[in-house]
Amino acid sequence: MPRTMRHILVALVPVAAMALLPLVYSNQLLLFNFVVFMILAQGINVIYGFTGYLPFGYFGFFGAGAYGFAISIMHLRMTPLPALGMAAIAAVVLALVLVPLFRLSGAYFAIANLAAGLAVYQVVSNPSLDNITKGPYGISLPAVFDPNFSYGIALVLLAATMMTVIYLRNSKFGLSLQAIRDDAVSAAMAGVNVVRLRVMAWLLSAVIAGLVGGVFAWYISVFYPQTVFSLDFSIFAIVFALFGGMTTILGPIIGVVILYGIYNLIGISTPQYFELVYGLLIMGLVLFQPNGVVALFKRWGIDVP
Amino acid sequence: MAMRKIFFIFFVASLVAVACRAGATEVPKQIKIGTLYASSGTFAPLSMPVHYGLKLWVDRMNAEGGVYIKAYGKRIPIKLISYDDQSNTATAASLYDQLITQDKVNILIADAGSVLTSVALPIAREHKMLLIDPIGIGAPFFTPDSPYIVLIGGPVSTIWCKNIHEFITDEGPKLGIKRVAILYSTNDFTGTQANTIRKAIEKSRTGIKVVYDQGVPTSTTSYTVIINGIKAAKPDAVIELGYPINDISFLRNLRESGVKFKWLFTSYPGMETEHFEKTVGVKGLYYVYTDMPASIMNYKAAFGMSLPEFHAAWNKQYPGGKVGFDFNSVVGYTTGLVLEKALGSAASMDQLALRQAIVGLSGKLKTLDGTFAVDPKTGAQIGETMPIGQILPSGKDGIKLIVVYPKQLATGKLVYPAP
Repeated sequence: MPRTMRHILVALVPVAAMALLPLVYSNQLLLFNFVVFMILAQGINVIYGFTGYLPFGYFGFFGAGAYGFAISIMHLRMTPLPALGMAAIAAVVLALVLVPLFRLSGAYFAIANLAAGLAVYQVVSNPSLDNITKGPYGISLPAVFDPNFSYGIALVLLAATMMTVIYLRNSKFGLSLQAIRDDAVSAAMAGVNVVRLRVMAWLLSAVIAGLVGGVFAWYISVFYPQTVFSLDFSIFAIVFALFGGMTTILGPIIGVVILYGIYNLIGISTPQYFELVYGLLIMGLVLFQPNGVVALFKRWGIDVP
Repeated sequence: MAMRKIFFIFFVASLVAVACRAGATEVPKQIKIGTLYASSGTFAPLSMPVHYGLKLWVDRMNAEGGVYIKAYGKRIPIKLISYDDQSNTATAASLYDQLITQDKVNILIADAGSVLTSVALPIAREHKMLLIDPIGIGAPFFTPDSPYIVLIGGPVSTIWCKNIHEFITDEGPKLGIKRVAILYSTNDFTGTQANTIRKAIEKSRTGIKVVYDQGVPTSTTSYTVIINGIKAAKPDAVIELGYPINDISFLRNLRESGVKFKWLFTSYPGMETEHFEKTVGVKGLYYVYTDMPASIMNYKAAFGMSLPEFHAAWNKQYPGGKVGFDFNSVVGYTTGLVLEKALGSAASMDQLALRQAIVGLSGKLKTLDGTFAVDPKTGAQIGETMPIGQILPSGKDGIKLIVVYPKQLATGKLVYPAP
């Protein structure tokens, strides 16, 4: 079987699992949160895994998508599906505005990106924009509230995100991005258009976050700026992706299943033990398995793409 | 033939017995109350006292054999199912769903504060569960098309500041207040209050002008430049609306800058007096006007413990000051008491019957939190308003709080302008 086809079949497993789980488990919101973090972790995979740029302010795209969706519903009277398109556009516009941040690298990029995310939050929650964003007073979209349909769309988005990562894993574009990540100067000398490809990956990653932000807004339908511009989304997605394994197809998904699973099993009932277990897991991983859980499977001879 | 007759009678009797059994209400062994709390994160200082107040009520009820439920005609023990959302909205959302779909609670109580309450709204509505809202006072929650929410422990944000703007427009002209400055943190709670106060002053036609009107991010902790900006506008009265951290920073910066305002209002010194004495210093609180919450007012409750009794019970149950006693403790306990009254009068355990029973208490129930009054159309709390108090020097390095507005509740004479 061709490699790409095998990857596609493997990638469909988590999508199918998340589609079937509501039939046996009725807390759909918990399952929805799993899907949201799977998509966000894959979005982090695209920008951090393939280009090496760590976006601490990734929640900014998520929030921009949520507000792009909400504003389209409230002011443009759109139905949810076209409004999701506006969510993606809002994230792309923000990503384009932030392109100059690529002049920075490493920790400087991460911190500047975080500041940018927080700045967007302050702008959106400014009372002077009450007529447009509802300022700090919160959004309510009861007319479009449809948990089942929005859950279905989230699954479609998860599938599309998985396909995107498969494309990056198996295409010249993805290889070029990895070359840039490993050594931008050498890549440029080999004929790779570093600036253009990096911006494309950045926009792709922003679109993913914007779309999932829009679906999130659709599903929960009542939210405040601090709900969607929450640093937790960035931190969780980055940790999940790192834990599972960057630049892999299933790594971020495995990271979400294990870590978000642990979070929901013991993180809520006994947060003190959860922090201990979480801390030990992450420390152990960084020290002994920096390439994530997937690398561990590979060492055991199990091929996880 | 006789045998047939016996069989027929037996058959009919069986049918009647089955029908009677089906018609009878099955009494559960326990009533499950589901709620969330935040032990860490932004909302922990608000959430934990509310949760502990509610827990104290549950423990007292269970010590008496449970809560009386009219629909079953007997006392039934309460099982409190509570989860820690750690101030995370995504976690809170899935936990609300967990309480409804997995734990199948009979009664759903929201976490404290508007942000953590907001995510419960659509979930409660979808599952047709009444959301008992202790102190999520965001005005957008309460609309006539949403019957599945009722606010218990504090007035909705548009009513919260009623006494501030009424003081300014009623008493202001008599005192010579003509110019007002409004500084507020840009969040739902204080932003809504600022809007309401601004509109009320403009509408009052008293000639009072808003000469300074500025929103700042809720994360603001440096006010020195802002204070000088307010001073330059020469206001007679300054209203600063923020969360405790904002109020503390503002008052500290004000004391350090040496600037004095003739009339200054901030919300939290009255609600968290001991904390403000430690962080701002006693002198920094002199002559400040503030909200006078139920934890100070000592309202005479129609049932349940009095404020001193509740305070003593709190100290006994939570020794060592691990969770501070404040207004939110009263809110948590009051939520339980209102629920107790409603369960004692609701005709059935149907969620809308429960809402009807709660709304039916409106105007009739005096709680530790003041007069309980709910808007029957929206479920918003419109009673339990906050009187205005002033902090005055008392003895050597001490303070005392007096109520100055509304006049019928006044316990002392206000000092204006502040020396």
